[in-house]
Amino acid sequence: MKIMHLLQMTDSTFPVGTFSFSNGLETAAHLGVVRDAATLEQYTRSVARQGAFSDGVAALLAYRAAKEENLAAITEIDRGLMLFKMNDEARMMLQRMGKKLAELAVKLFPDYSPIAEWLEEIQGESTPGSYPVAQGLSFAASGLGEEELFASHQYGVINMVLSAALRCVRVSHYDTQLILQRLCAESGALYEEARQMTFEDMNSFVPEMDIFASLHEKGNMRMFMN
Amino acid sequence: MVSPRKYEYTDVEIVSFDNAREMRGYTRTPRAMYVGAPGKHGYLRLGFELDGDGKSILRDLDRRAPLIVQQELYFDEELPGMPCVYILSSGGPNVDGDRYRQIITLKKDSMAFVSTGAATKLARMQDNYSGLRQTIELDEGAYLEYLPEPIIPCANTRFISETDMRVHPSATVFYSEIFMGGRKYYGDGELFDYDILSVCTQGERPGGERLFREKFIISPKTFPIRDIGVMHGFDIFANVLVMTPKENIGPIYDATEPFYDADNRLAAGITHLPNDAGLLFKVLGMETGPVKRVVREFCSKVRTQVKGRPLPQEFPWR
Repeated sequence: MKIMHLLQMTDSTFPVGTFSFSNGLETAAHLGVVRDAATLEQYTRSVARQGAFSDGVAALLAYRAAKEENLAAITEIDRGLMLFKMNDEARMMLQRMGKKLAELAVKLFPDYSPIAEWLEEIQGESTPGSYPVAQGLSFAASGLGEEELFASHQYGVINMVLSAALRCVRVSHYDTQLILQRLCAESGALYEEARQMTFEDMNSFVPEMDIFASLHEKGNMRMFMN
Repeated sequence: MVSPRKYEYTDVEIVSFDNAREMRGYTRTPRAMYVGAPGKHGYLRLGFELDGDGKSILRDLDRRAPLIVQQELYFDEELPGMPCVYILSSGGPNVDGDRYRQIITLKKDSMAFVSTGAATKLARMQDNYSGLRQTIELDEGAYLEYLPEPIIPCANTRFISETDMRVHPSATVFYSEIFMGGRKYYGDGELFDYDILSVCTQGERPGGERLFREKFIISPKTFPIRDIGVMHGFDIFANVLVMTPKENIGPIYDATEPFYDADNRLAAGITHLPNDAGLLFKVLGMETGPVKRVVREFCSKVRTQVKGRPLPQEFPWR
């Protein structure tokens, strides 16, 4: 029942600290740019697309490197992804969640050595320890496939924003579930693209989100850490 | 990098992005002039350094059509010792199959201002794409302001650029680009009607230590560019990368306030590049005037921190 692992690692109660982050939604809601179900859906779609072609690609690359037990390639992807992260709060989110997952995964998959080796590198500060890489390693350890990894990654990104929305946007659980369902249906097309991408192809274009992130970083809204 | 191939008629390396995944659908030979034809493969090498009296000069200049740079001028009233050059193109807009190579080098303690004479128009394309590869190298203590006029992508155009900045930890580069959505007032409006813009900028130290990599691909026909978080209701996007010594980062960051002015449709944000490389500043707006003004105000903060002088007022005709 491998699928139980998938449910476990995708569950919002999986203790990696997802609930602390809003991915810029807190600022967008405060400005009134995201104010109802329609605007929330647009915003979440932008976050999902951006996540697919940066962190999602990194997770897939890390998974493949983990399958080959190639620690050098894993740390290369980890460092490469951080070169790509353009704000402090995003870097903090990735590293905080990455380390939490690595610490947990070492206990969940004690027989799988690449996670322990990678965690040692994180603790020695020779690699940043990003969350997508930790996801790639955990999925390789659990015997799940690439598509499951990507689905879990996208579900996590979408659900992070929608869960935050329940606390800072006037939307109902019905609204967020309908958005989740529609965005999940769009994830297959993103996977078709992302699975063919290399580090060189990773890209992100969300200038308005970047400005929200900057306003959050310099402002004093602190219900969420980003 | 593989050793650059050369065309028979020219001695400069060939620029190609045919292997870039996002350009694979655009590699047919243009029905007009072929890729690499004379006048379609621009080359520009600018080398600034101090002369014997300690004055910054343009010591090295090499170019191939259609790129043109004339003699440096010293017109900046706040920094009268800074050579200023405009990059011009005798070909007019970038057309199908154009390739460009630009290399800008600043030796120890020299400074320079580089801009373009007019907006860079990316013409309509049907077979191929246009591409630019740039290398910017700054030695110890050097200072470069790169503030070109906006890029205007016409309908169905395709453009890719790759910029590598190799910058000494004591040097400063201010690198800005302004991307318009298109010819906003042409006909019924031609906004986000292009095929693709792919822009990648990387920063590293002279020893090869990688600092950051930013890549964005905008293909308005394949994803909802007007969604919240992307361009939303804005028509113009400016991207500014500042690599500067560590001690300058804090003061510039503190002096720059992000804002989101919904009434005037103007917004800007600032953030730290990874690895203490510097700062990233983004602006969204509706018209070039206000966006350029915000970019120049930010440049003035950087210059004041690094050189102790502000930017002069912009010329009224620019």
